[in-house]
Amino acid sequence: MNASSEQELADLRKSVRGFLSVRQEGFLDRAKTWDAPLIDLSSWQRMATELDVQGLAIPQQYGGHGYGLPELRIVLEECGRSLAPLPFLSTVIMAATALSASQDDDACTRYLPDIASGRLLATLAAVEKSGRWFPAEWMTKAEERDGQWWITGTKFLVLDGLSSDVYLVLAHTSAGLTLFEVERGAEGLRCEPMPGLDLTRRYARAEFANVPSWIVGSLGAGEAILENVLEYLRIGLAAEAVGAAERCLEMSVDYAKTRYQFGRAIGSFQAVKHLCAEMFAQLEGARASLAEATLSERERPDDLPLLAVVSFVECARMFFFVARENIQVHGGIGFTWEHDAHLYFRRAKATELVLGGPATDYEAVLTKIGV
Amino acid sequence: MTIELERFADEVRTFLETNSKRRTDENRKVWGRASDQVAIFRTERESRNRHEMAARREWLRIRFDSGLGWISGPIEHGGRGLTSAHEIMYREIEAEYDVPDTSDLRIVGLNLVAPTILAHGTPEQCAKFIRPLFRGDLIACQLFSEPGAGSDLAGLQTRAELDGTDWIINGQKVWTSIAHCSDVGELLCRTDSAAVKHKGITAFLVDMETPGIDVRPLRQMSGGAEFNEVYFTNVRIPDSRRLGPVNGGWPVALTTLMNERSSVGADDSLAVNDALNIEWLTHLLDSLELRADPVARRRLAEIFVKRTTLDQLNAQLRRTVKSGRTPGPEASVGKLMNSRNVTDAAQLISELLGPQMIADNGEWGTYAWSELLLCTPALRLLGGTDEIMKNIIAERVLGLPKEPSNGAVKDGYR
Repeated sequence: MNASSEQELADLRKSVRGFLSVRQEGFLDRAKTWDAPLIDLSSWQRMATELDVQGLAIPQQYGGHGYGLPELRIVLEECGRSLAPLPFLSTVIMAATALSASQDDDACTRYLPDIASGRLLATLAAVEKSGRWFPAEWMTKAEERDGQWWITGTKFLVLDGLSSDVYLVLAHTSAGLTLFEVERGAEGLRCEPMPGLDLTRRYARAEFANVPSWIVGSLGAGEAILENVLEYLRIGLAAEAVGAAERCLEMSVDYAKTRYQFGRAIGSFQAVKHLCAEMFAQLEGARASLAEATLSERERPDDLPLLAVVSFVECARMFFFVARENIQVHGGIGFTWEHDAHLYFRRAKATELVLGGPATDYEAVLTKIGV
Repeated sequence: MTIELERFADEVRTFLETNSKRRTDENRKVWGRASDQVAIFRTERESRNRHEMAARREWLRIRFDSGLGWISGPIEHGGRGLTSAHEIMYREIEAEYDVPDTSDLRIVGLNLVAPTILAHGTPEQCAKFIRPLFRGDLIACQLFSEPGAGSDLAGLQTRAELDGTDWIINGQKVWTSIAHCSDVGELLCRTDSAAVKHKGITAFLVDMETPGIDVRPLRQMSGGAEFNEVYFTNVRIPDSRRLGPVNGGWPVALTTLMNERSSVGADDSLAVNDALNIEWLTHLLDSLELRADPVARRRLAEIFVKRTTLDQLNAQLRRTVKSGRTPGPEASVGKLMNSRNVTDAAQLISELLGPQMIADNGEWGTYAWSELLLCTPALRLLGGTDEIMKNIIAERVLGLPKEPSNGAVKDGYR
């Protein structure tokens, strides 16, 4: 696996931030308009041609750059910072990771180069009505008839499901959980939007009524692939949380310096100042847990599964705290639809809950350390 | 660089193999077998134990004479002239060995006082103090806080008045760690009571054996006497022991304080961490048959996550230092986190133990935790209270405005 120097990572951050910051206002306006299509496809394609970051962690033989989490972390932090409506989490973190983990050379050759070049959007359809990531609770099944697999069931919270060209579907077979691929427009597949809390992400419900599909990887390998995806997903969500929280803190500090009440900047009152300091302290801790988790991928890979869970739990908790207190620092203006603070609040709560919520996540930590 | 670090690691291991024993299960803290004492501060008997202090001084001497006492220090002052990366590597390796605990000597004398002398002292003062401090020949303490000057340190009132070429000191200091075994103290005094409070302070290096100095143990709420009150009655200090210019002591004090705030949080050698690991807390859950209790599990997991996060923060800090950069005031985040984590852990432990923490029923590993509980309030106070740390973060890192001053505040120290 390739590694970048600190300078290269700083340059990467600078160019991604530059690219996203000029688009941020448009991103957030889009998010506040219910009916507008959210995903900004032209930005996605330009991101690929100008920044070439979609393939950062895709292996070189499949058209990527063969880097890993430390590099993805930078891009994800910047996406989180601007709440960019780009399919990075679905296509790169979920689908590309699932494909790589499947070690299915044929599927990787078909899809990964197009993901790297920004031409293909893909997603993972895993959880069902409860939204929980426990395969035993899922009902979707695949059966083989006449040399063809057929999927039946309903998947929920399919991220960017309406925009994706390819669905990677986890379904039960008689040989265990297995990953399948289904193309957009396949007969018997119906996708509908799910109205959601987080205005900067679009989730879909995907109904599979006897949909023809093909195995990705080997039969029964679904659980192992899922573990790999969850590891990257935890880091991905944690990185977006850190970037977004950093933006919330900046909003608070800027406002506390310029908002005057009682003849003073409100940031000169200790009640406000200490709130900002607390946000900073929690952000720094979470940021450190994220940084060390991403570095462990190359330095101490055995530690990554635990550090990924710990970092996700801490970053998600921190993000919701910071997003909530950001509204408090802003006072009434922070509670308006027009202000961006609620978009971060919404994203933060969705992040905290999307893998099952704190109760599930803390149990996952204990499981990893054998308690 | 890498090769040199590897060669240095070999040297360190050879030194430690020769002069100490590797930590094994026998001399590590093992649940149910080791002492169940869990405290942040030493007990009164321990803190006044001359024999143990002699062993700690001896370890500093052996280490220094082997060229490992001050690894990143400049060669002309007795340092080894290597980088902070080497220093960190030494500490990481030393942690694998069972050596005398020199953390309190290191924290005050080596991390705080010596760097301050190096930054502000005359060549004579550097020559006289720095090498002996690192060699354990001299022990140093920090004479800053007073009964009337805690968070507002610049309001201190211990007076120094010039008498010929000597200064005459009168006043009282408080919360002075290891003053009872120190040879020298970094002392802050008021030398101009008409000036704005920060501009009328002078720093000195006072010989602790000077007549007129009375060191009295200060018993803290946990029962031990780790700290002291130090009284000065007509104590005479030659002007050659002045550290920095007359009325220029505040920058000297700030050098010490900055070092203090970054070292208190980053120092993971605190003995209490041996016991607050997940292994011990899990044992505690098991011994109380609470392993399956959802509330206890959730809180245990929260503590583990916070503790791991602090470890990662320290790991990031070490990377910063290793890459040759200086950590900024954001290093004080670690101090805030550490005190919060230990406080939360003590709260969980007390709730798990319930009435067994009220009185000693003789059971191993139960009542003993009460000592930890009684130590925890200090963590949010020492080296700058949580509130002062937050002011520092808000003002120096985030750039938020200071409290507006008014006449009453300006003249407050009078």
